[in-house]
Amino acid sequence: MIVGLKNCVMRIARLQVVRAASLLVLLILGSVLAAAQKASPTESQVKAAYLYNFGKFVRWEGDRAVSPDSLEICVLGKDPFGAVLDATVEGESIAGKKITVRRLSTVQESARCSILFVGTSEESRLAPILSVSQRQGVLTVSDIPHFAERGGIIGFVMQQDRIRFEVNRGAAEQSHLVLSSELLKVASKVIEKVPPQT
Amino acid sequence: MSATRTRSISTKLTTMNILVSGAALLLASFAFFAYDQITFRQGLLRTLSAQAQIIGSNSVSSLLFNDPQSASNTLSALKNAPHIASAGILTAEGRNFATYTRQGEGEILNIPALSATETEEYRFGSTHAILVRKVFSEGKLVGFVYIRADLGEIDERLRRYAIISAAVLLLSLMLALLLSSRFRRSVAEPIIALAETAQNVSRDKDFRVRVPASGTGDELATLIDSFNEMLREIQRRDDELQKAHDELEHRVAERTRELVSANRELEAFSYSVSHDLRGPLDALNGFSYVLLKNNAARLDEKGKEALDSIRAASKRMSELIDDLLNLSRVTTSNMHREKVDLSVFARSIMEDLCHEAPERKVEFVAPATAEAYADARLMQIVMDNLLRNAWKYTSHHGHARIEFGQEMDNDRMVFFIKDDGSGFDQRSADRLFQPFQRLHSVAEFPGNGVGLATVRRIVQKHGGEVWAEGAVEKGATIYFTLESRRSAAQ
Repeated sequence: MIVGLKNCVMRIARLQVVRAASLLVLLILGSVLAAAQKASPTESQVKAAYLYNFGKFVRWEGDRAVSPDSLEICVLGKDPFGAVLDATVEGESIAGKKITVRRLSTVQESARCSILFVGTSEESRLAPILSVSQRQGVLTVSDIPHFAERGGIIGFVMQQDRIRFEVNRGAAEQSHLVLSSELLKVASKVIEKVPPQT
Repeated sequence: MSATRTRSISTKLTTMNILVSGAALLLASFAFFAYDQITFRQGLLRTLSAQAQIIGSNSVSSLLFNDPQSASNTLSALKNAPHIASAGILTAEGRNFATYTRQGEGEILNIPALSATETEEYRFGSTHAILVRKVFSEGKLVGFVYIRADLGEIDERLRRYAIISAAVLLLSLMLALLLSSRFRRSVAEPIIALAETAQNVSRDKDFRVRVPASGTGDELATLIDSFNEMLREIQRRDDELQKAHDELEHRVAERTRELVSANRELEAFSYSVSHDLRGPLDALNGFSYVLLKNNAARLDEKGKEALDSIRAASKRMSELIDDLLNLSRVTTSNMHREKVDLSVFARSIMEDLCHEAPERKVEFVAPATAEAYADARLMQIVMDNLLRNAWKYTSHHGHARIEFGQEMDNDRMVFFIKDDGSGFDQRSADRLFQPFQRLHSVAEFPGNGVGLATVRRIVQKHGGEVWAEGAVEKGATIYFTLESRRSAAQ
C-alpha cells in the first residue's frame, strides 16, 4: 500500500521544479507523511487490511449473523497476523459498527462471528468448518490453497508478487451472503459453482 | 438642396436605426454569450464532478484491494464522454494508480492542490478544465480521482455564437434599412415638406401654400399645424394690408381724378375769361385809336393824354392776358423733351432785345453751348422771361452786364442768369415766384408779376427747381435746374 511512496514524493518535487509556474499536486495528508516513515507493508499487514476491507463489500443476509452494534473478525487455528490485525482494525468501524477481533479454538465458537479467517493449521478439518460456517452465515477467508474451489468463500492467492483473492460466489449464496460487485470486480477469480460437499 | 436634405435626414434615421439595433444586438449577444459561458462552465463542472464521484465510488474496491486493472476498466468507461481528454486515479499517497487518456495524449501534470478539508477542486485553463476529487471509504481517504476535460467545445460555441450573431446582425441591419423607409414616411417626409414649404414661402412670399398634415398626431403634426396657422395669420394680415392699400389707391385715384377735372375746369375758365376779355379790350383799344386819329383836332391836350392813358392801359391789360394765357397753357400743354441748346435761345433773345433798344450799352456773356434735355417751346418761354427780366432791371444803369451760364452742383446741371441791375431784398426771394407778386412798382419797372410764376411752373413741370439770389442795387441771379436730384444721379 505504501510501496513507491518515496518515489512519488520525489516525482512531485521534480515536477515543481520543471513547472515552476503551475500549481502541482499537493496532497497534504498527515497520514501520508507519517506512513512515509514506515517500511514497505508486510504480507500479513496487507492481508489484515484486506480482511477488514472485505467487510465493506459483504452484506449478511442471515438473521442471526451479526450483532447490531459490532462486526467481529474471528481467527480460527494458527494466527498468522499476531498484533498486526488488532493494530489494523484499531478504532475502525464499518457502517457504524465497531470492528473487534476474537481468536477461536474451535469452529463452534464462531456463532457470533461475521468474518472467519481459517488458519492453514485447520486444512484437514476444512469440511466440517465450512459446513458450520455456511449454516451460521459467516464469511470465510483463508490462506489455504484453492480454498475457494474447495468450498470456502474467499481465498488469498499470490500473483506476480501481489496478494490477490479468489471468490466462490455459490458458497457465499449458500451462506446467505451477498458479495458486492465491486468486490467481485477486483477478485482474481470468481467461482460460480456450488462447492462440493466433502 | 432638398435632395441633400432628404438624404441627410434619411441617412441619419437609417444610421440611428442601425446603430441602436446593432448596439442592442451586440450587447444582447455578449450577455447571452457570457451567460452561456457561465452556465456551460457550471454544467461542465457538475458533469465532471458527477463523473468523478461515480469513478471514485467504483474505484474504492480497486484501491482497497490494490487492483489497478479494474480501476483502468472503470476509467475506460469515460471513452463515451468525448470531451474528457484524460482521467486518472491516484492512491491516497499521491501515487499513480490508473490512468486513462482519450487518444494517447500526454500525462496530466498540472493537478490542482487539495487542502485537508476540501473534497473537490477544479481549475480552468485556456484549453482544458481539470477537476480532482477525493475518494473515501468509510470516511477514510483511499485515493483521488481527476478528470481533465477539453474546452474545445467552448471555442466551438464561441464560433457558433459569432456566426449566429453576425447573421442576426446582418438581418437586423437589413430590417433597419427596411424600417427606415417607414420612418422616413412618418418622420423625415413631413420634416422635408415643412422645410420645403418654409423655403418656398421665404423665397416667393406666397403665404397661401400649406404644409400637408402628417396625420400622425405627434409633435411633428403640432409643429406643422402651428406653421400652417402662422402662414394663415400672415396671409390674413397680408390680405388686410392689400385691402387697405387698394382702398387707399382707389381713393387717391378718385381724388386725383377729381383734382384733374377741377383743374381742367379752372383752366378752361381762365382761358375763356382771358379770351373773352380780349374782345372788349380790342374794342377799347381800337375805338380810342379811332377817336384819337379822327377827332384829334377837337381834343385838347388833356383829352389826348387821357386817350393815350386808355390805350397804354389796354395794351398792358392785353399783355397781362397774354401772360395769363401762357401760364395756363404751360400747365395744360403736353411736354415733349428733346435735346436743346439754351445758349442758342439766349443769344437769339438778346439779339432781339438789342434790336429793340439799340441805344443801351449791355455786355452779354454766354457759353458756346448749354445743352439740356427739355421741351424746346417751354424753354423758349423760360429763357425769354428770365432774360427780359434781366434786361428790364438793368435799364436804369448806363452800363449793364448780363450773364447766362451753367455749373455742376452735386451731379446736376444748374443754369443761371445773372445781372448787375437793381436786384432785390433777399428776404423777399420767396415772393418772387408767386403770381402777381411784384417787388417793384409798375412806375419803376413795368410788369405784371406773372413771368417768374410761369418760369417756376415750367421748371417744376420738368422736375427741376428754381431759386433766386440777390441784393438791392447789387443785381440778381436766378438759378434753375431741369431735372430732379434723383434722376440726375441716375
